Amino acid sequence: MKVNSNLDHLLTQVLAGEVWPPLADRHGYRVDPDGHAFFLPGMGGVTLDVHCGDPATGYAGDHVEPGLSVRHRETGPNYALQYLTCVGNRVVVVSGPAKGAAGFVIGQHAYVLVDMPSEEMAQVTTGDQVRVYAHGQGLALLDHPDIVVKNCSPALLRGLDGGDSSNGQLEIHVSKVVSPEAVGAGAGMASEYANTDLMGAYAGLSDDLSLGLESLRVGDIVALTDQDHRFGRGYREGWTTIGVISTGSCQLFGHGPGPSSIMSGPSSAFNVVVDDDANLANFGLDQVKGHS
Amino acid sequence: VSAAQLVSVNLLGFVDQGEVGTDPYRIDRDGHPYVPVGDGGTVMGLRLGDGVFDAVGDHAAPGVCLVHPSDDARHALVGLACLGNRAVVRSGDAAGAVGAVLGKRGGGQRVIAVFPQKVLASLRPGDHVAVTSRGQGATTPVVGVSQLNVVPEALGPLGITVHGDAIEVRVRATLASRTIGNGIGRPMAMWDVDVQVNASDSATRGLCLGDLVAITDLDARYNAGYRKGFLSVGVVVHGASPQPGHGPGVTVVLSGPKEAFVVQEERNNYRGLSEERLLALALAESES
Repeated sequence: MKVNSNLDHLLTQVLAGEVWPPLADRHGYRVDPDGHAFFLPGMGGVTLDVHCGDPATGYAGDHVEPGLSVRHRETGPNYALQYLTCVGNRVVVVSGPAKGAAGFVIGQHAYVLVDMPSEEMAQVTTGDQVRVYAHGQGLALLDHPDIVVKNCSPALLRGLDGGDSSNGQLEIHVSKVVSPEAVGAGAGMASEYANTDLMGAYAGLSDDLSLGLESLRVGDIVALTDQDHRFGRGYREGWTTIGVISTGSCQLFGHGPGPSSIMSGPSSAFNVVVDDDANLANFGLDQVKGHS
Repeated sequence: VSAAQLVSVNLLGFVDQGEVGTDPYRIDRDGHPYVPVGDGGTVMGLRLGDGVFDAVGDHAAPGVCLVHPSDDARHALVGLACLGNRAVVRSGDAAGAVGAVLGKRGGGQRVIAVFPQKVLASLRPGDHVAVTSRGQGATTPVVGVSQLNVVPEALGPLGITVHGDAIEVRVRATLASRTIGNGIGRPMAMWDVDVQVNASDSATRGLCLGDLVAITDLDARYNAGYRKGFLSVGVVVHGASPQPGHGPGVTVVLSGPKEAFVVQEERNNYRGLSEERLLALALAESES
């Protein structure tokens, strides 16, 4: 994206994280939209075979978290990790057989989610330690003062298509535009934490549940209509939020594939262009070296 | 199918203090800090029938919030308590006072109980309040419609009547599912749903605590979520919030296909649940 920003003034913090195990309770089951019980894999651990560019839905899973699910063992340091880490940040494995393997952050979901090549990812398991180069909070687009940027690394900003345009709007390419009816769990939460589950993407279930979102892919850049996520996530007519799909299939009702929020502002500040190539897989984030 | 007998359970709740984080401020939707007043605890000066935007508060409920120090017991207390249940103070200066459950809010976190103002003044956080829960598991005679969070005897006073295979509901307002924020995706036996509205929105002008509202395209039988053609009906149990994604809270009592409902939106002539009618339900419970 060609845009005037303050990215040369941003700091990098080196943070520690740990691949966290999936968690369950002794009753196991959760409830789908029709009231049926299910027990499926999803959050936590290292989820293989789902990468940026792959379908977000269609898996026999619930809250599928692609790649590594990372958090910190202690509350305060964990919030630092969750709030400061941005989409596109570099992550390096520092323990276990995959030591030295590198990947990049695809989003937050109460865990930091990390994609990396399959062969190296296969060597990582829960308890493995990682180093995260948190870089991006504080990013501002100097010619777009109404747009608040969050959770967006300089590497992601460079990869996004669009930029300053002659009419003063920010052109931004997205793969899909999402209606406010789709916004499920995550509404009302802080914009720097977890993501916004999108309903209407329950592939294989009845038509009355569909909002046409079954074709979402992991890593898709999306525009959320009538959403203001500048200071927490809320419905607001006439506002637009740009997000990156970081999680996949849900069976739990009111949940679904979710975007981390990266930009928010009045709809008039954006020129949203629908473009099938608007996906993290096309941004060269796996080529990022060093710490940014 | 004949309805099974409902089970009553005596539970113990504790008067809540409310909690504020180490930082006194929360942030409103425009990025301005504010100090949250009335988010939990015992709130005086706010009654059923008051407007949801009248008080300077954050999720303020008309009465007292009840909690339990054990998380699991707290979830059960909140999940089982139903509108109309009797709540009796068992310790402290207000011992013996009778109140009524209005609803519940947030993550199996708090039961909202209504007491007369003079009882609230003599409560103290930590006081014991016995709640006799009854209502979960109740069914409606209308196929496909789920009932939750309410004793059957409260339906009439709420303005809900069953006519053959339709349920007639008198409501203040009908809201679109897109305005539902915090609480969506959560189990409705444990949570309320916040409506993301502001004082300037025409859809919720005149909205009061205790009002019945209908929400279109929301299936709230289990978790709450979008389902085209469904309708959910609930009671406004707490006031507005400046936080983005939050707002007046609705405890859902009915949910099913919209064809099962006849919704009468009454707006200006509407009168929601009053303190007197709610307390009368609880007093009748103690006599039965």
